[in-house]
Amino acid sequence: MKKYSLLATGLLLLSHSLAAPLALAAEVDVDALIQEAERASYYSGNDGRSDARMMIVDNQGRKQLRQFTILRRDVSDNGDQQMMVFFSRPSDVKDTVFRVEKHVDVSVDDDRWLYLPALDLVKRISAGDKRTSFVGSHFYYEDVSGRAISEDTFVLQSDEADAYVLKATPKAPDTVEFTYYVVRINKTTKLPMEINFFKANGDNYRRVEAIKIEDIQGHPTVVRSKVSDLQTGGYTLMEFRNITYDLGLDDDVFSERSLRNPPQQWLN
Amino acid sequence: MTYLVNEVCVTLHNNGSTKMKLRPSLRHALRLLCLTPLLLSGVHLQAQQVSVPPEKPTQDEWDMGEWAEPEQQTYRINGFVEAAAGWRLSDDPVINGRSTLADLRAQLQVDRDFSQSRISLSADVYYDGVLDQAKAQVRELAWQGNLSSLGQWGTKVDAKLGQQVLTWGTGDYVFLNDLFAKDFQSFFAGRDDEYLKAPSLSAKFSGYFDWANIDLVITPEFTPDNYINGDYFSFFSPQYSPISGTNVAPRFSVTGAQLPASPEYAVRISKSLGSTELALYGYRGFYKSPSSRTDTGLATFSALRVYGASAITPFAQGLFNAEFAYYDSTDDGHGTHPQIPNSQARYLLGYEQELVKNLTGSVQWYLERTADYASLLSHSLTPEFEPAHSRIVVTQRLMYRALQQTLTFNAFNFYSTSDADGYLKFSTDYSPTDDWRLTGGVNVFYGDHPHTFFNQFADASNAFIRLRLFY
Repeated sequence: MKKYSLLATGLLLLSHSLAAPLALAAEVDVDALIQEAERASYYSGNDGRSDARMMIVDNQGRKQLRQFTILRRDVSDNGDQQMMVFFSRPSDVKDTVFRVEKHVDVSVDDDRWLYLPALDLVKRISAGDKRTSFVGSHFYYEDVSGRAISEDTFVLQSDEADAYVLKATPKAPDTVEFTYYVVRINKTTKLPMEINFFKANGDNYRRVEAIKIEDIQGHPTVVRSKVSDLQTGGYTLMEFRNITYDLGLDDDVFSERSLRNPPQQWLN
Repeated sequence: MTYLVNEVCVTLHNNGSTKMKLRPSLRHALRLLCLTPLLLSGVHLQAQQVSVPPEKPTQDEWDMGEWAEPEQQTYRINGFVEAAAGWRLSDDPVINGRSTLADLRAQLQVDRDFSQSRISLSADVYYDGVLDQAKAQVRELAWQGNLSSLGQWGTKVDAKLGQQVLTWGTGDYVFLNDLFAKDFQSFFAGRDDEYLKAPSLSAKFSGYFDWANIDLVITPEFTPDNYINGDYFSFFSPQYSPISGTNVAPRFSVTGAQLPASPEYAVRISKSLGSTELALYGYRGFYKSPSSRTDTGLATFSALRVYGASAITPFAQGLFNAEFAYYDSTDDGHGTHPQIPNSQARYLLGYEQELVKNLTGSVQWYLERTADYASLLSHSLTPEFEPAHSRIVVTQRLMYRALQQTLTFNAFNFYSTSDADGYLKFSTDYSPTDDWRLTGGVNVFYGDHPHTFFNQFADASNAFIRLRLFY
């Protein structure tokens, strides 16, 4: 596997920012920007597949690993999505499959299913809080599937050389654990590079970072990301490999059939 | 059990280069298992809990140790070893000993993927210390794949052929249209939930069509439940218990001519309409537990047909499910045969919702309505012990996940308003690493009368502990 030093990654970003057109427009269209950022983060291509592995490190330094393959299909850009997550390691979650039908309409809950192979059980999961741990990691379900941008109000905080810095305030503060978050969106890639979550007292307790970006079929793609619990010191690293977009994944792939009989042609 | 543990441990300690060529992870798992008796006797196990100060992620950390490269093998091997122990909370006058669970178990899983199909094996070997027997169970040995090689029609049909575990229906620990074999001995003893379902040698065909999906399961040889037979837990006998004042533990198993010779057929037709899932079910086979007797008084399985339907849909903040099944006891169509169950209509309503972050609650209401009830009472040899015309059970589940989902609490309670009895199953799992999981819990049966469905097992109430090490 190729290795990049942090420095090289930094230089890569710098060169991007130099090449970026100067932010000439005096007024930044914030709505258009967050839509672009959402597309860049979650809607590259019409569909895609990726192998993923995750390392969860708790506050005592104990490590857990997860390995899985994700298939995704967009019903429409910035719209509904279908997703399947096939776990392969560790052995107690092997062959477990997670299926999501994501609805961007915030009044409609996502549909979620879990397939437990030891019981041959397809379990429908009730909607639930999206800001709870994704398979025991520091990532939330919402970090993986994407938080609907319609749930927050965005204000441009600063316009820097390489990034726009936006402050987002939830429209329904009772439903989330943060008071606001601050997101740095790279001007070239439109990818959110760092998101810091704050409590009411200004305490920055959680951070999500894009560590490494690669160009995949013309789409700048986050291939390494990290989420940190700044209160406990625990964190999770996630790395994506073997990414391909626009495979022509059919609607049929995202079904109960694939829970019980995974579509091998897209997994290997 | 301790003897066997020591045997394995001595082998490991004495012979680092054992001839078995164990994988390092398995050897590590077995070594840890050797510490189990210490753990069970209250000695604190520190092996996995060495405190390491939090590290900053470095470039090397992205290698993620042995997972540096993605797996490319076409076959995969994994599994676990497990030690489990359980004890009766009170004496059972008809069963010697307090032990209800004493397993030393290894599970091996091997999968091989082909381009369009997969062969999988999952087998358990274990020493059952309660019965002092070594046992083996093949939970899965099956080929699964698409039938496209048989023609164009086959692209829409998948098959799974061989030994397998099967589940369908919408209930939580309550099964109406799921007539696949269950293992109530394991469930009562506190084995992992996966053992609630017993495997069967079956052929499953699943067709995926625009108008609906169809599943057809053929089990050529009738596969009964692993029913309560007195091996581990005693039960109430309407004939003998009133006289002796105790349960019976005959340790019986139905064999020979009393076993049905015909296959079992199960079918499901399912369809999703938006977020709502609908299904119709049919079953042709036999009662899965020996609830009938032959004319000569031998326990047997009488014929059964089941017709049913289910729906599950998001509702309010949670999920609502409803299921119905009609149990047609075809050997006793008018309820006049005292030794064969009457037909029943069974109804289930359920609702599940996340109550607060990481705490999920669910409730179910279940009704068994016995057909020809007057006929049942007038023909019964022991009418005073027949269940109510309408047997009602309500269930409640609370599940709480803590410590980044490494600690899980699960409480499930069955309570019958008609029988005034119930069954509380509580368990807690702790698994802060990928290598091991520690589980402890209780199964408590309670009620007012010695003969009712749950309370007959009052002396089976037990506490259990399990340590599972993954490799």
